Amino acid sequence: MTAPDYPQTPTSTDTPQGFTQRSAAEWVTFIAAAVILLGLVGLILFDWQTNQNRPPAFSVAVSEAVRVTDGRYYVPFAITNTGGRIARMVQVTAALALPDLGEETGEQQIDFLSGHETKAGSFVFSHDPQAGQLSVRVASYRLP
Amino acid sequence: MLFWWSPPLLISKQRCIGLYLRSVPERGAMGESPDITENQTPPNVWLAELQAILQGAVGGFLFGIPLLYTVEVWSIGAATSSRWLLAVLLATLVGVGLLTQVEGFRQALSLNPLEVFLESLEAVAIGTVCAALALGLLCRITLATPLSEALGKVVFEAVPFSLGVALARSTLQGKGRREAGVDRSASRRTTVPRARQLTAPTLVNLRDALVDFDAALIGAVLIAFSIAPTEEVPLLASSLPPLWLLLIMAASLGLSYAIVFASGFTDRAERRQRGLLFSPLTETLVAYVVALVASMIMLVLFQQLTASDPWSEWLSDILVLGLPASIGGAAGRILI
Repeated sequence: MTAPDYPQTPTSTDTPQGFTQRSAAEWVTFIAAAVILLGLVGLILFDWQTNQNRPPAFSVAVSEAVRVTDGRYYVPFAITNTGGRIARMVQVTAALALPDLGEETGEQQIDFLSGHETKAGSFVFSHDPQAGQLSVRVASYRLP
Repeated sequence: MLFWWSPPLLISKQRCIGLYLRSVPERGAMGESPDITENQTPPNVWLAELQAILQGAVGGFLFGIPLLYTVEVWSIGAATSSRWLLAVLLATLVGVGLLTQVEGFRQALSLNPLEVFLESLEAVAIGTVCAALALGLLCRITLATPLSEALGKVVFEAVPFSLGVALARSTLQGKGRREAGVDRSASRRTTVPRARQLTAPTLVNLRDALVDFDAALIGAVLIAFSIAPTEEVPLLASSLPPLWLLLIMAASLGLSYAIVFASGFTDRAERRQRGLLFSPLTETLVAYVVALVASMIMLVLFQQLTASDPWSEWLSDILVLGLPASIGGAAGRILI
């Protein structure tokens, strides 16, 4: 695919010191490219050092700002992977224990949760969470 | 009048790419016709370099877009360890190096091994930057994305983008260069008898413009057809923040313009001569509309969009698929 239709005329590029053929603009491109790639490799190494040896750990924050729409109670929550490594299929369960009416549960599965990543969602209950005991926890996860 | 109008009709774009190639600055050993180059002013190396980078980026986008719309690549990238990412980066460099030996994004035709290595590094860097920009555009990487996830996505998406950069010259100019001496329009199918085409100049011009939009349609369908039935389109569309669609539109138009007019794959003078009816801006806009209509038809055919869906979903899905479609349409306009 080197376009053989065109005859190769002998130019200075064919001589061993073809290195000098690069223009100043091309050197600038090369320096920028080298900086970008070194930066990328540096970031990968930095991430390796800081995160790869820390297993996933989770903290779940349940918001106090419960929203009521059409008689249903929306309880926002945010889950953060405080560890370093990514976790898959993170299962978050919520249980609302009501004094007289038994227990109402909710479940949420999060596909991917990288280290230091936060994802948010809501549990929906048909009873007021303030009237009972709400507990939200991470039940399980899988390593990639 | 007849004499003046016939050359634009007969000259194909590929031929003009060939003519253009002879006038761009070369550091390689390309056989140049002295009659074309001897009267030229010394080329601006910075402009030529910018154009080479732009051409590489265009090739990267063309090659990388299908994998950009693949959810598996994002998730694999997000879940890969740092050691593996370095290995992927190295493999990309080796692959691009092999391609650069025979192709590369610059015009030079003969390079020594060290220059091949330098150009490969540049190609991978261009591919990486383009991949990062594209991922940012589609909100796969945001300010909230953890570093490891962002790195993984960029490294994996950089593979097709870098290969595309290294293949830019051969995919987008290859035919033109190889067949520079052949009038390819002679082999183009024409459905209207030539005698009738040449009678009315405006009609000739319109027909030429229609060929352009035909090409845009073909290119748009070629690239976007494989993306239209996938779940990535609604997934991406639903995860975009409000007003982000405007950015996607701007990027679609900008890339389309860059591919056809700014990267120098086609000859401006020739296009100006042919396209009296449409300025570059108008052509870009109309081609984008063509790409959007094609996207809509494809999404409807694959039942991704139905009458019961809200109009906002129609809008976002069409615009999200419109990005690859407009890139394909632009490539179609310079290749077909």
